[in-house]
Amino acid sequence: MHSMVGVLLRIPAFKLFRRFGLPRLLPLNLTLSPSPKCNSRCLTCNIWMKRENELTLDEWRKVLASLGRAPYWFTISGGEPLMYPHVVELARSAYDECRPGVINIPTNGILPTIPERVERIAGFCTGSQVIINLSLDGLGEKHDFIRGVPGNFEKFERCLEQLLALRRRLKNLSIGIHSVVSVFNVDNLDEIIAYADRSGADQFITEIAEPRVELDTVGLPITPSAASYAKAVDRLIRYVERKRFRGVARITEALRVEYYKLVKRILDEQDQVIPCYAGWVSAQIYADGTVWPCCVRGDDLGNLRDHNYDFKEIWFGKRIQEVRRSIAAKECHCPLANAAYTSMLHDLATLGRVGAKLLR
Amino acid sequence: MAFDWLDRFQHRLEKEPDYARKTLAAYRLGMKAKGSISGVVIQPAQDCCDPARRLPPGKVYHPDQAPLLPLPDCPQGGRCQCLYRPAMSYQQADE
Repeated sequence: MHSMVGVLLRIPAFKLFRRFGLPRLLPLNLTLSPSPKCNSRCLTCNIWMKRENELTLDEWRKVLASLGRAPYWFTISGGEPLMYPHVVELARSAYDECRPGVINIPTNGILPTIPERVERIAGFCTGSQVIINLSLDGLGEKHDFIRGVPGNFEKFERCLEQLLALRRRLKNLSIGIHSVVSVFNVDNLDEIIAYADRSGADQFITEIAEPRVELDTVGLPITPSAASYAKAVDRLIRYVERKRFRGVARITEALRVEYYKLVKRILDEQDQVIPCYAGWVSAQIYADGTVWPCCVRGDDLGNLRDHNYDFKEIWFGKRIQEVRRSIAAKECHCPLANAAYTSMLHDLATLGRVGAKLLR
Repeated sequence: MAFDWLDRFQHRLEKEPDYARKTLAAYRLGMKAKGSISGVVIQPAQDCCDPARRLPPGKVYHPDQAPLLPLPDCPQGGRCQCLYRPAMSYQQADE
């Protein structure tokens, strides 16, 4: 079942699970956050200040074993995930236990050890697509200012070059550029798009800066206004639509355009525009073993240490029921990309538009 | 402000017993490591207790000097809905 076809076949079952609670299914899309530690000092994120009683590698192995072959998509997040000392072993465990279709790792590109770690991960997890997304929030000193690290842009460029060289040897490795669109760079998105376009990266993706319990950014003025975001992202949509993609990239780019349009609507309407599937199809495991439906709400669904590292005990337990009720009742809304993409896969109108676009 | 629901939602979340110690330790580290955090603000709950109401509104504390939540006389104890928020240097620049 570890192909995109397998994921699509599970959509009807997840729709039933969300509506009626049956059949009981484990999530397809899991974010693992082994540590909040980070060597960036971003204006849009405060997670790097946190310290946790982190799960050990042995504890992670038990958790991953309890998930079996259910997850298709893993994101190893942070903090800076490639700074986590056991990141290679964690990715290997995820691969050994779950055989996911995709292992996605964002990175700030600062540490010189990143390419070597990526090489080991992609070299071992040969049956998974390994996607490394390098963060880019501006060009030159603008990037350094937003990320709070002098010289970061130079290190980003060096890391990108090394990763692109690796990609030539490792067929399962994709390199992307990822920008957080915030009040600090919303007016400079054009130059980031142009840079990404000529960079040689496989993809350019953006996410809006948003308040999250995980990042301790609730109430901070980092999210661009609906109008300024729309203006910037309309240009991004025009850019994506001008480009010619082939194969799977056509599908992912069509979904990406749908996502950007969805974010515009969420900002404008301040509503859960399409049903959110966080808590059914996607979830996050935080560094200390706490399970969240998503990192925006950060509801404590239970700690894996208290449940013998068995994810199922929490996922099919009592505490999650109230959280699922709250999400289904649209008591929350947000543009979190990771959850939004899985939710979009379960929205027939979105799938219809993507399908129509592909037929054109 | 976008996503107001999240602010209300977070006020209602039950806090861990070591909330004050952990949060202030994080902010202390943030200041020491030269992040853009410049201190901590207490954001009282809508129906906060009298001691919380008497706190100077919007005052930015150093994490070492910030009052511990829940405040000693708070009748809600562990269910206190007041929160710490990081005060960021760019917020002060805006003001």
